Amino acid sequence: MRQRVVITGIGGICGLGTDAAAIWEAMRAGRSAIGPIENVELHELKVRVGSQVKALPEHGIDRKQLVSMDRFSLLAVIAAREAMAQAGLQPGQTNEWRMGATVGVGVCGWEAIEENYRALLLEGRNRAGIFTVPKVMPGAAAGQVSMALGLRGPVFGVPSACSSANHAFAAAVDQIRLGRADAMLAGGTDAPLIWGVLKAWEALRVLAPETCRPFSADRQGLVLGEGAGMAVLESYEHARARGAEILGEIAGVGLSADASDIVAPTVEGPEAAIRACLADAGLNPEDVDYLNAHGTGTKANDQIETAAVKRAFGEHAYRLSVSSTKSMHAHCLGASGALEMIACVMAIREGLVPPTANWREPDPECDLDVTPNVARERPVRAALSNAFAFGGTNAVLAFRRV
Amino acid sequence: MADELARQIIDNIKAHAEPGGEEITTNTELTALGIHSLELTEIIFDLEEAYGIEIEMNTVDAWSNLKNVGDMVEAVRGLIAAKKA
Repeated sequence: MRQRVVITGIGGICGLGTDAAAIWEAMRAGRSAIGPIENVELHELKVRVGSQVKALPEHGIDRKQLVSMDRFSLLAVIAAREAMAQAGLQPGQTNEWRMGATVGVGVCGWEAIEENYRALLLEGRNRAGIFTVPKVMPGAAAGQVSMALGLRGPVFGVPSACSSANHAFAAAVDQIRLGRADAMLAGGTDAPLIWGVLKAWEALRVLAPETCRPFSADRQGLVLGEGAGMAVLESYEHARARGAEILGEIAGVGLSADASDIVAPTVEGPEAAIRACLADAGLNPEDVDYLNAHGTGTKANDQIETAAVKRAFGEHAYRLSVSSTKSMHAHCLGASGALEMIACVMAIREGLVPPTANWREPDPECDLDVTPNVARERPVRAALSNAFAFGGTNAVLAFRRV
Repeated sequence: MADELARQIIDNIKAHAEPGGEEITTNTELTALGIHSLELTEIIFDLEEAYGIEIEMNTVDAWSNLKNVGDMVEAVRGLIAAKKA
């Protein structure tokens, strides 16, 4: 019999708040963190809005580790420490060789890239900062989390653009199911509010000028944000044996690829991932009460996602509560699935579906119940979380009450 | 023997160290500084511009040979002398 994988701690940081409780409180209230980007030099950029962590919390990370981290790693470490503290796991008490970390990263350390190009090309410096390589690499966040928490089991980064965090959860679930680890810190992080990254996204013409309005007929695109989310995953037996409080379960994982186009999504790919996830979790469509949509707020994504959900769920699609919390925390790329994990876990625990904020007009192509603007009370037995990505890499997770 | 070069290196180290720590002298062990080894290497490289020297030092070799701040000062002094010669 395969191991059940449960969640015993969650942590997060994004524009909505600097811990998971604050993030959930904002989601319950339908408050959007999207606004003018401050604290970052935007130069001549047209895009001026995002969801930013305005001030970091007191984190107590020692200076020696701090100087070696780009912002995306720092956010991951802050969220991981919170999740670990809630889980009450102590390296030393638990076998640290049986504890690992998988951290999803979509864009990596562009703060360091930007600083160095500007220093070398514009300011005439002749060498790059000595930490450039270890700061920039996409695997840095996973390594830094392992160092901060003393995790010595399977540790690696997971880059798959906007579905990175869900793939990181999937990889962590596998480590536990395969018996390679008893506990895994898993989640995602990104800090893309950097001139060079915003400039590149601007070129794609998919950014909304004002705010993100998923599933609303007048939606104009996505908004980028920064943040991180992490969860402590454990085998059910391990959590029970140490008397940990179990917050929920990752009951299933469904993965697929479009194998079609680097940016344009298909309906079949997401549909297959949703179906695979339900099958892996042993859930029927009617067992699911909440779907946290990928819901980026672009014309194409929301329409195609709606079609995929209808095909996978059949008639039950109209009885599901759907929402896109990206309307509140924005699209935090590698962190998105991890912040949406917080939404799913808390929706199950509190019987409350967080809303799709900023919604204004019905779109006949997006005709599911998208929980517009106001949270809805309803018992949530199981929740699915969709993540799709450039590259056509789809990853869907099923969360269930234990 | 806190000469000008030693004073400058110690000042550079202080700018990177945790404020309010113990006083840094040429006898301070590098591992006691609480500074990442890569950052210490960068402090040496920062002297390249100040003294117009090229420091050809492999990071790994540097750290296997240098034990305290004084060793760091003498290594740089050697490079400056070699340049003058």
